[in-house]
Parts: sequence; C-alpha cells; structure tokens
Amino acid sequence: MNHDATDRFKELACDYLRRRMGRRQFLAMAAELGFSAAVLSRLIRPARAALLDSSPDAPYESPISPERVAFLKTKPYRGTTINVMVLKATVGDGLKYHVPHWEAETGGKVNVAEVPIETLHTQIFSDLTSGLGRYDAYMTGAWFYGDFFQPQDPYIVALDRFLSDPRHPYWEPDQWLPAMKTLYTWQGKLYGVLFDGDAQALYYRKDVFTNPDVQAKFKAKTGYDLPAPPKTMKQMHDLADFFTGWDWNQDGSKDWGISLHAKVNEQGFFHFLTLAGPYVISPENKYFFFNPDTMKPLINSEGHVRALEDYVKFVSNGPQEQISWTLGQGWNLFLAGHAVMEPTWGDLPTLAQDPKESKVAGKIGACPIPGTTEAFNPILGQWKTYDLNQVGNTNGGSWHCVISRFSKKQDATYDFLAFMANRKNAFFNCSNGWTGVQPGMRYEYLPPAGTSSIAEWQAQGWNTADTAEYLHAYYQELSMPVQEEYLRIPGTAEYWHELDVNVSSVLAGQTKSKAALDATAAAWETITERYGRSAQKALYQASFKT
Amino acid sequence: MAAARISRGQYGARLKYVLLLPAVVWVVAFTFLPLVSVIRYSFAAYVLGRGITGYVGLANYIEVVNSARFWHSIMVTAIYVAVSVPVEVALGFLIAWLVHLGPPGTRTFRTIIGAPLFTMEVAIGYLGVTMFSSQGGLIAVLLAKIGIDIPWLSSAWGGLAAAIVLDIWRWTSFMFLIVLAGLGSITTELYDAAILDAKNHWQVMWRLAVPLAWPVTSIAILLRTIESLKVFAIPFALTTGGPGTSTEVFSATDYLTTIQFFDFGKGSAMGIVFLIMVSAVITVFFRQMRRRLG
Amino acid sequence: MTNVLWVRASMWSRLIVYVLLIGAAAWTLMPFAWAIVNSVKTLADTFQAGAIIPFVDFTPTLKSWDEVLSDPQVVRAFVSSIVVSAGTTVFVLLLGVPAAYSLARFEFPIDSNDITLWFLSQRVLPPAVVLVPFYLLMVQFRLIDTWTGLIFCYSTFNLAFAVVIMRDIFRDVSTEIEDAAKVEGASAWQVFWMIALPLSLDGLVVTSVLVFAFSWNEALFASALTSQDAMTFSALVLASRSTRGVDFNIASVNTLIGIIPPVILYFFVQRYLARGLSFGAVKG
Repeated sequence: MNHDATDRFKELACDYLRRRMGRRQFLAMAAELGFSAAVLSRLIRPARAALLDSSPDAPYESPISPERVAFLKTKPYRGTTINVMVLKATVGDGLKYHVPHWEAETGGKVNVAEVPIETLHTQIFSDLTSGLGRYDAYMTGAWFYGDFFQPQDPYIVALDRFLSDPRHPYWEPDQWLPAMKTLYTWQGKLYGVLFDGDAQALYYRKDVFTNPDVQAKFKAKTGYDLPAPPKTMKQMHDLADFFTGWDWNQDGSKDWGISLHAKVNEQGFFHFLTLAGPYVISPENKYFFFNPDTMKPLINSEGHVRALEDYVKFVSNGPQEQISWTLGQGWNLFLAGHAVMEPTWGDLPTLAQDPKESKVAGKIGACPIPGTTEAFNPILGQWKTYDLNQVGNTNGGSWHCVISRFSKKQDATYDFLAFMANRKNAFFNCSNGWTGVQPGMRYEYLPPAGTSSIAEWQAQGWNTADTAEYLHAYYQELSMPVQEEYLRIPGTAEYWHELDVNVSSVLAGQTKSKAALDATAAAWETITERYGRSAQKALYQASFKT
Repeated sequence: MAAARISRGQYGARLKYVLLLPAVVWVVAFTFLPLVSVIRYSFAAYVLGRGITGYVGLANYIEVVNSARFWHSIMVTAIYVAVSVPVEVALGFLIAWLVHLGPPGTRTFRTIIGAPLFTMEVAIGYLGVTMFSSQGGLIAVLLAKIGIDIPWLSSAWGGLAAAIVLDIWRWTSFMFLIVLAGLGSITTELYDAAILDAKNHWQVMWRLAVPLAWPVTSIAILLRTIESLKVFAIPFALTTGGPGTSTEVFSATDYLTTIQFFDFGKGSAMGIVFLIMVSAVITVFFRQMRRRLG
Repeated sequence: MTNVLWVRASMWSRLIVYVLLIGAAAWTLMPFAWAIVNSVKTLADTFQAGAIIPFVDFTPTLKSWDEVLSDPQVVRAFVSSIVVSAGTTVFVLLLGVPAAYSLARFEFPIDSNDITLWFLSQRVLPPAVVLVPFYLLMVQFRLIDTWTGLIFCYSTFNLAFAVVIMRDIFRDVSTEIEDAAKVEGASAWQVFWMIALPLSLDGLVVTSVLVFAFSWNEALFASALTSQDAMTFSALVLASRSTRGVDFNIASVNTLIGIIPPVILYFFVQRYLARGLSFGAVKG
C-alpha cells in the first residue's frame, strides 16, 4: 500500500463519514485503491434495511425500520413494567402523553412518578445513592450530569449498544444541532435520549415595534430608528427604557419595557446567565464560570460585574414584584400584553398561540439575544471592542430521560425513550406548547435551516407569522458560532443556587453588584474545595472536549 | 389475703415502668439513633455520589459558626418568632376570651376561628403568593381601597412581613383552642365572685382569667415557640427564602444545605449548633415555668 | 353555655364583643374565600390582575375541581393521608398516654420534670436536620414509600407532644376518686384504665385532634419518604408546582380538599374542647 493511496483513502473516508459521499460509491472507490473487503467491513456498519415511512402496525412511529415492525409483532415487552420519574407538569405531561401509545404497541407498562421541580434532583439522587434502584429512568436537567458521573461507576448508562439495534424505535442523533447535542453527551458518549432542547431568545411585540407612531416617538427620544429586532445590548436597554411607564397598548394602564421572573430557586438566574453571556464570552474566550487552569471562579470579574449592573437596570423596567415571581407569572405579563419584551424560553411563543392564555397571538417577534460591542476577557483581564459580539446559549433544563445503571429492564426502558424521540413523536412534542419541549433537531426547523414546513406547524395550530419568527430566532440562537458554556460539573445546582441568591439580593436592594459577586465567588471556592479542586478541574476541562 | 392488701410503697411499683418504658424506648430508638447519626455526619465530609470522604474533626462546626449565611438565618428566624408568637398569644387569648363569654353563635365562631389549624402550611404559602401579589391580589386590592400600598412581595422586608402575617393567621387558632380549653375550667362561682369587684368583663379577664389560665397558656407558648423556631413551610412556599435571603429562616438554610445540596456534613453541624442554642433557651424557660407553678 | 359575665354585660359592651368576633371571623375566612375564588379559575385567570369576584370579573369554571377530583393519584393520596394520620394518632395514644400517666402519678429516680423536659427537647431539632438519618433508617428497614414508615416517623415526632400535654391533664384530674379506688383494693392498672382514662377524656380528645392535625399537615417528610405508593395528600399539595411555578388554581382546590377531614373531626369533638382543661391550676 503506497503513501498516496493511504492519503487518498483518508480523504475518501472523511468524505464518507461527513456524508458527502454515499456508501456504495465509497466502497467502490476504496476497492479501486486496493483495500480489501475485510478491512472495509470493519469500517462500515452493516447497512440497515431501508426505512419505511410508516407502518399500519405502528401508527405512532414514523419513520420506522422493518426490523422494528417485525419486533413489535411479538409484543416484546408484555409483562414488563418500567418505572420512570419525571418532572411534574409541562415536560412530565409531555412524556405521559406518549405512554399509552407505547404500551399499546409493545405490550409493556409504564409507571410514571411525577415530582416537583425543586425536589427532582433530591429524589433522583436519594434513589441512586440508596441503591434501592426503584426507577429505571429519570427525567433529568442537563446540569445534573456532573453528579451522575461522580462515582467510579457512573449512575447512568451509555446508549451505544442500543443505538445500533434496529429493533428499537428509529431516531437521528446526528440531526441534532451540535450545541444541543453536547448536553446529552459526556466525554464523547451519548447518555440521554432526545426530549427537550432549551435555549433562551428574546421575544418582543412585533406589532408595537412596527407601529409608525411608536417608531416616531422612539426616534424623537433617542435620535435613531427603532431597531426591530435589537442587535446590541444598548439598543435593548433603550427599548426597555422607552416602553416603560406609558400606555402603549391602549388598555388604560401603564405598561412595561420587559417582563421576567426572579424568584429564588425557580430558575430565574438563567435570565442573568443569558444576558451576561455576551459581556464575557467572545471568540477569544469561552469560559464564563471558572478558570480552567486553576479552577478559580471567574464570576466576579469586571465583565460580570458590569453585566450584573446592566441586568439590574434592565429588570427595573419591569414591575418591582418580579423579584418574587414564578416563571408563569413572568410569562403572564407578556402574554396579557403589558410588556413589550421578554428574554425567555420557547414556551412563550407556544403559549401565545393559545387564545385562553394570551392576547398576543400573531404579534410575536423573535430574535437571538442581543450582543455587545465590548466584551471582557476574564482570563487575560482585558476589554476588547467588537462590531457585534453575539453569543448563543442553551440555557435551561433541556429536560430528558437517562437510564439508571441499576435498572434491570434497560432494553425496554430505552425502547420507550427512543419511541418518544422518534421523529413523529418528537415533532408533536415541540409543536405543542403544553409539553414544554422545544425544537432541537434539524427536521423541526423551516428551510433553509431544516426540513420541516409551515404546513406541519400550522397543522398543530400555529400562527404562520409567529412560527417563522420563532423557529428562525431559535435556530440562530442554537447555531451561533460562539456559544455560552453550560456548567456540568458535580455540584452545579449548588454553584448556581449561590449565584441565584446573590443576584436576588442585588435586585432586592440588599447588596451591591460587586459585593454580591465577590460573595458568590467566595462561596464557590468553598464548594470547590469540598468536592475536591483537582477532581473538579479535571471534569471542568473535560467538559469542553465533547 | 396479703396479696389483696397492696401497700402504698409497692403500689404501682412495677406498673409505672411498664407504662413509661414503651414510649421511652421508642423515643430513644427513633431519636437517639438518628441523633447519633447526625452527630457523626457533622464530623465528616460528605459528597454526593461518593458518600463520606473522610472525617474532618471540627471543620464543619467552624465553617458554620463563621458562616454569615447561618447567622443571618438565625436572625431572620429570631425576628420571625419574636414578632409572630407574641401576637399569636395575645390575639389567641383575646379571641378565646370573647368566645368564652358565650355570646349567641359561640359554636359557629369556635368552628370558624379554629379552622386555620387544619390547613396545610404549604398550601397557605402558595395561597399567599397570589393573595399578596400587587397584580390584583386580594390583599393588595383591599388595602388599595383604604389607600395603603405595601410592597409585600416586591421588597426584602415585605416578604418577611407577608410570611409573618400568614403565620399569625394560621397559628392564632392553636393558641385560641388551647386557651379556650383552659378558660373552660374556670367555674361560675369564681366569676360570680369576681364580678362583684370588677367594672366590666375586661377587668375580670385581666384579674382572674389570665392568672388562672396561665399554666395552660404557658405550656402552649412553650410548644408554640419551639415549633415556631423550626418554621419552614410558610416562608419557603411563599418566597423560597428570597428575595435574596430576607426570608431564609434557619430550617430553610438547613434544608437547602442538607437536602438540596447533599452537604450532610455542614447541614448536620448546623443542626447541632441550633439544637444546643435552642435547648439552652428551652431549659431556662421550662425551669422558670416550673417555679411559677410551684 | 352563656357566661354570667355576658349576661351582666351592657349593650355597648356586647356590641364591641360582637364587632371584634365578626372581625376575627372575617379575617379567618378571607383566605378560604380567596381559595374558593381561585379554585374556580383557569390557570390563565389566576394570573389576571383584578379577577376577584366570580361572574363579575371572570367566568368561573369547575375545570380545576374536575381535574383534581378525577385524578386517581389524588384519591390515593387522600386515603394515604387518612390512614397515616389516624394510624399515627392511635399509635401515639397507645404509647404516650400510659407514659404520661406514669409521669404524672409516680415517683422516679430521675425527677419527672426532667424526663418531661427530655421528651420536649426531642421536638427542638428542625425536621431538615433529622430528615437524612430518618431517610437512611427507613431505607434500611425497607420502609420507604410505605404507610408504616410514615406512621413510625410521625409517631416519633408527636409522641413528645402528647406526653407533655397528657401529663398535665392527668395531674389535673382529681386524685380523690383514685384514692378511693385504691382503698377499695383496686390495682394500679385498674385505677389507670377504669378511672383516670375516662376522667381525662377531654384531654385525650384535644391531644388526638392536635396529633391528627399535625400528621395531616406534615409535608416535608412525606414528600421525602414517599413518591408513589404511600404519597400523602400534603406531599401532593407540595407538588402542585410545575416548571411554571405554582398552579394557583390547583393549589387552591387542594387547599380546600385538604381541610375537609380534619375540620369534620374538629367539628365533632368541639364540645370536649369547651369543657376545659386546667393543667393543674384550678380545683373545684
């Protein structure tokens, strides 16, 4: 085998693996180079029988493999019961919806235990550490992953051996937007089955922004045209200021520039993480939480402090009571039409479609979170200017199920989870707001980003205009080249809680930004010491290599 | 016949232990063992997933005593108890007295006013979120009618005030019931005698009822105070310790540390420190009371 | 039973008493009324500012009630709560009443006041602290998610309380009848069982009601130690939260449902409460 052939073979292999070349073509060209069939057979997975679009035996799966159709005919899981622990409501309801369908198809039975969000982490890990193993699968938040990998033997099971088995429901991990896929993997292996994919984007009242009277007023006040959508933080702040304190929706009461929620322990801190990202993350720096060489917190850097000060200003453009609001209360202000912007999850535009919940269907504008013109590099300790530094995020729970190592029915459990990840069911989830699921797969987006269509979404009750806005913005958010890091080391819940409480103190006027972030950093150091600095450092560094 | 005549000294000599021991054994087993467990954890470093990673002597205790968060939660708890308990006692006694007077409709009043005791504190906390909301909550609306605007859930101290109000609502009925029962033992003859000296029923209350019902009331105050120091559900359900840490009572801090973050070492140390502090207070209180009863 | 003070009171005085009582009643009823109003709203309505009076500010609906009552998990949880609360009450009385009597009537090497104080000190530790050891204990005995496990836990918490209260009630029961019985040749057990217990009935009822109420309302341990089979109603209420925050309409329905059994119990035993306890102060 000469040198050129090896190089050429490498090129071919790359093309094949990147799907720029079909299998048959690759085999033919490789054979021409002289590679034996034996060698090639080790590279290429056995070809699957072609996928069917659907089968009358399995009305809830599409696409479906012939092996699966045959498998289902045997009612393979008759007599098997699996126990799943899920979040109460939204995503939990989403999962429960699919249970009877899977049971009918496979003969198996699913017991669902619903647990409120604050105790989910406790319940999962109490069950795992007690060794009782009463549950086969847990619905987990992406930030619990570090804790799953604490013991020598991780608590959860890698999915490789299931993925290659064509008898299980078919789903496409490579259709995932990369930023989302990382949250389901650990050091290169896949552990989670597709369910939810969270990211925060900025939603605004398109009808108000495009109203000529309003635009004129804005220009008169600020001197420039109303930016719809806003691209920079400054523009977003100007908009928030402008819309606060007068009745722009003509309903008799004064309205607000923004709405969000900030109650402690209710995921309110994600708003801060999202809005602070562009102040610190940039093409030159991807670290938001810790210095990877020393594991010292970065959270009290100049950039973070400025981000927090701006965040406080931003929050002041909404009702003071936001500091005690739950998520639903925050959404409600926007849905009732009293707030002009809200940075939040995709549940908002989905809920907006429901006339019982909202007055703003058809009026939604969406855009990625605005960026900054100046970002701080906390590792080097210096500011740098940019034309526009926009940062994507995957902030949120991205709730999905993982399989317990103690489960004695791992096959059946995976089967159920994959069932929900099958394209037909996954699309149902992300297009029905009450499930709380957001799109993470290419086939859920509109062209050119993906392969879905307006008609598909309309069929689930979506307003055309809103659909396009939402999907476009969401896709952009998830596919930005610069992404905010997502913390997944052991103890993440604790680190974030400290931040949550300290940010809340600032919002309530109890402390100043710098002091609060310094206190957070000090608390983080204690936590890091307790978990073991070198262990944390190793895991933190590893989490960046996907 | 000797068996039939039971001498005083032997009376109940064995029975008293038979009656007492099951309870003592139970309490020892189910509180002593867990307590030993807690003490053990307080000297250890515990990490989720790895269990006890080593024993660290007094490190946890030092951390707790140096923790501003811990002392802040003690302060919040102290304020909470210092405000809510006296108000509950005063209101409970007052209303019990009024009901005790026996006006027509007493039974109805008794049922209504005793009812809050049977509500779930968690549910009351949740109810409070909408009641105190400035966006059309019941209390906000009612207060607006008389021109008052209190930032219940929009400010740090407001959150604490709201939790205390809810607590008073719920626990006044506890004091009410116990005091009412205590007042019920005051016989008519005593009242007939008292009324000769007094100008109106308020004076009778002060001079007669308060002292006579004091044994009842003091036990109730003791029990209520102990419970109140452990308060958890109402402030946690209402504001989860926020805004910031303004409503984070001791139980909340301990709950977060132990249950949510699995830091058993520090959480246990916190509990022991709390136990020592409160036990000292209770012992003093109880001895004082005993002296009064003679 | 009208008090002589009321009979002798002036018109003015009576009016003040009534005004105060009605005020107290209104203050007590307000949250219940609010719960009722919220229970007939949809979730979206609960966020609506100013939606106070049904039919006027919003259209009421029974959907929330329907959702809760038709959920089999709710019915199961309700049953669990009843079983656990009743079980705890019975168990606590079984262990605590004899102990209280013993402390009230007999001498011990250790001063009975100190023993009582020791019992009392068991109540001081906040639940969050002992939750972990209890959880581990339950795991060891395989009592997680069982009624028995919860009953054991609750009994432990309430035993001290019952002993302290019943001790003082027994101390108050007049010893004349007991002494008479002793002279007649009754054994200590007979005195306890046939004389002291019936005489202390009022106190027993008060203690039972309070223990029942405490067990019924306890949410923290219930949600930590149970998840499916033995989940109690209060743990379920704790769980009427979703990722959106509290479902206010559901929580209101739960509040109202949750109050029913204890209040029924309370209603029936009211008269015992009025007859009075004096805790060792008044004789005659």
